[in-house]
Parts: sequence; C-alpha cells; structure tokens
Amino acid sequence: MMKRDRYKRMNPGRRRFLTVLMGMLTFLPGLGVAARPHEPRRLSLHEADFYHPHDLKG
Amino acid sequence: MAVVCELCPRECVIPEGEAGDCRVRVNIGGRLRASTYGRPSAMHIDPMEKKPLYHFHPGSSVFSIATAGCNLHCLNCQNWQLSQRGGEEMEQIYRADPPQLIELARENGCESIAYTYSDPIVFYEYVQDSSELARQAGLHNVFITAGYINKKPLRQLCQVLDASNTDLKAFDDRFYREVNGGTLKPVLDALVTFREQGVWLEVTNLVIPTLNDDLSMIRRMAKWIRDELGEDTPLHFSRFHPQYRMRNLPPTPGETLDRARKEAMDAGLRFVYVGNVLGHEGNSTYCPQDGTLLIGRVGFRITENNLTPDGRCPSCDRPIPGVWQ
Ligand SMILES: [Zn+2]
Repeated sequence: MMKRDRYKRMNPGRRRFLTVLMGMLTFLPGLGVAARPHEPRRLSLHEADFYHPHDLKG
Repeated sequence: MAVVCELCPRECVIPEGEAGDCRVRVNIGGRLRASTYGRPSAMHIDPMEKKPLYHFHPGSSVFSIATAGCNLHCLNCQNWQLSQRGGEEMEQIYRADPPQLIELARENGCESIAYTYSDPIVFYEYVQDSSELARQAGLHNVFITAGYINKKPLRQLCQVLDASNTDLKAFDDRFYREVNGGTLKPVLDALVTFREQGVWLEVTNLVIPTLNDDLSMIRRMAKWIRDELGEDTPLHFSRFHPQYRMRNLPPTPGETLDRARKEAMDAGLRFVYVGNVLGHEGNSTYCPQDGTLLIGRVGFRITENNLTPDGRCPSCDRPIPGVWQ
C-alpha cells in the first residue's frame, strides 16, 4: 500500500492533527529567527590619525 | 562633536555623521574614521614603468591598489569612477587588511606595493600599516600621489616609503585652483619633503593644450626642480587625453611634448621623459655624459637594459641615479 493511500484513508481528525503538526514544525523555527533582536550589522571602521575635536559654535 | 582633519591642506571641519571633502574620512560619534581602511576598490599587477617610475627596480611587477576617494577634484581625472566617489558608491570593494595585502603581493610575484590610482593620501592609515608590514617582508613601497598633503603626516609616512612619483600638475597656483581644486604651495613642499627624507622621487607633469603648455612656465618649473630637488630628478611629461569633465580640449600634440622636453633639458634636468606616446625616443634613458642608450623602452616594456650591475653607464662609467636593484 502506498504512503499516500494510507494518509487518505486516515480518519479526518487524525489527518487534521498531522497537518497542523507539520505546519507548526515548519513555522516555529521561523519565529525564532524573527524573534532575534534586529541589530544593524556593524562594520568596524579604522580610526584615523591626524585630527582633533572641534567645537562648532556661532 | 565635529572634528578637524589635519591630514591634508584642506583641513576640513567635519560635523558628526559627515565626511570630509575626500568623501572617505568620516566623523562617527566625534571620532574620525578612515572608512576605506582595508577596503581597496582597485587591485592590479602593473609594471613599474606604468607608475611611471623609470629609475626604480626597472621591469619589476608592482601590486597596485587604491580605495575610493580623493582630496583633489581634477576636471580631467583619469580615474574619476574611483576617485570622485565615496566607498558606498563603489560597485567593487575588496577586503584586504594589511597582512592579506602583503600575502597577495607575494603570491603574485611582486617586489613592491604601489598605493596609487586615486590619491593614497586619503587612505593614509592603510598605507602606513601596510607599508610597515611590507617592509618587514622585504617588499618596497611606492606612493603615487598628487602630493596635496600636510608636512607632518607626510614626514611620518616617508619613514616607510621607498619611492614616489608625484604629480606636479602645473607651476601655477591659479591652475591648481581652477582645474584641480587645490593649491600649488603644499605640493611643492611635499616634493621637497620626499627629497629631504630620502624617498626616491620622480615627477610627472601632464601637459594640457592651452592650459599649462606655456614654455616659459615649463622652464620655470624645470628650474625649480633642478634647484630644489636636484638635476638628477627624473621628470615625465605626459600626454593629455580628453576625458571626464574636460572633453573640449584635444590630445596634446607630439611637438608640444618635444618642446617641453627640450625646454626642461635646456634648463639643466638630466632625465626628461615623454610618456603616453608609444615609441617616442623620450621613453628611453640615455647617459647625460655621452648619450649612450642605457634603458630602452617601448610603452611599459623594457627592450634593453645596458646599465652595469651597479647602475653605471657601460661606456663612460658615470653613475646613473636611481634604485636599480
Ligand atoms: Zn656614459
């Protein structure tokens, strides 16, 4: 008997349960990624030589 | 907090979040960042003759790099896609911190690294750190620049440089203001600094019809080079090609370059070359004493090298200034 036939012949309650379970298994890991804090990627920039602070006034 | 960049004579006052006139030195949170450090946008292997350096390790290969940005804005820039843009506008940005750069140069069989194409002044810290490592690794450092830099940073950098070809764009402050967006005096100072600090120096002058081809100016320039840098300083006259924002002028006629070369030699310079003209006799090096052909060149290729191993004329034994090996 083919797998597909077995699935078709299951009672509707069990079929529904399996569908929801598969759905959750594929959806939940995605939630984890989305839940990660959304920080911008930082590029380290080399500090320059030969400069000094300057107070912009007036 | 704003900062003042003291690297070049512009001394830009840079408010937070903005860049200097060069587009690549950026104030982030009151600290000036060299945004193209370790991020070249051009990497090529060139012959030394292309820099052009004719009296420095002739025929050797140079690993040549540049990042985005420049502190001049020449209307006739050859590399404007690189120089007149900030890093964020480049299609191509490689990652090569100094150790990787040295590794790349060695892997590709290069004896030297050239900081070139745009103006390496704007990626000063990257040049400094790479040059220190390169020197430890036995490589030479070559700085191809327009020399628009302050004395203090240049003196420091000279400690790790071996050679420079510096552009002297005209012997005229007005030309610098109108065509390059700079001034003449700092460039003359930079030339003198290279000489004083013992960096092998050659000078390039791009001759642009009607703008800087006046023979009396060329004579004054040649005399200044003779008196301040020495009669042995190689001078390269280079041919202009219309491009970027200067398409209204024709390429420099060959006779103009011939006349410029003669004028500079009459003023007492011993090694005057003509570049960008294939097969011109001014591509080759001759003995100033007896006219013997010392190094023959066609384009960037060396056709013959008759110098003795210790850099002398084979006929009269005159020492020829340069770094030959
Ligand atoms: Zn000779």
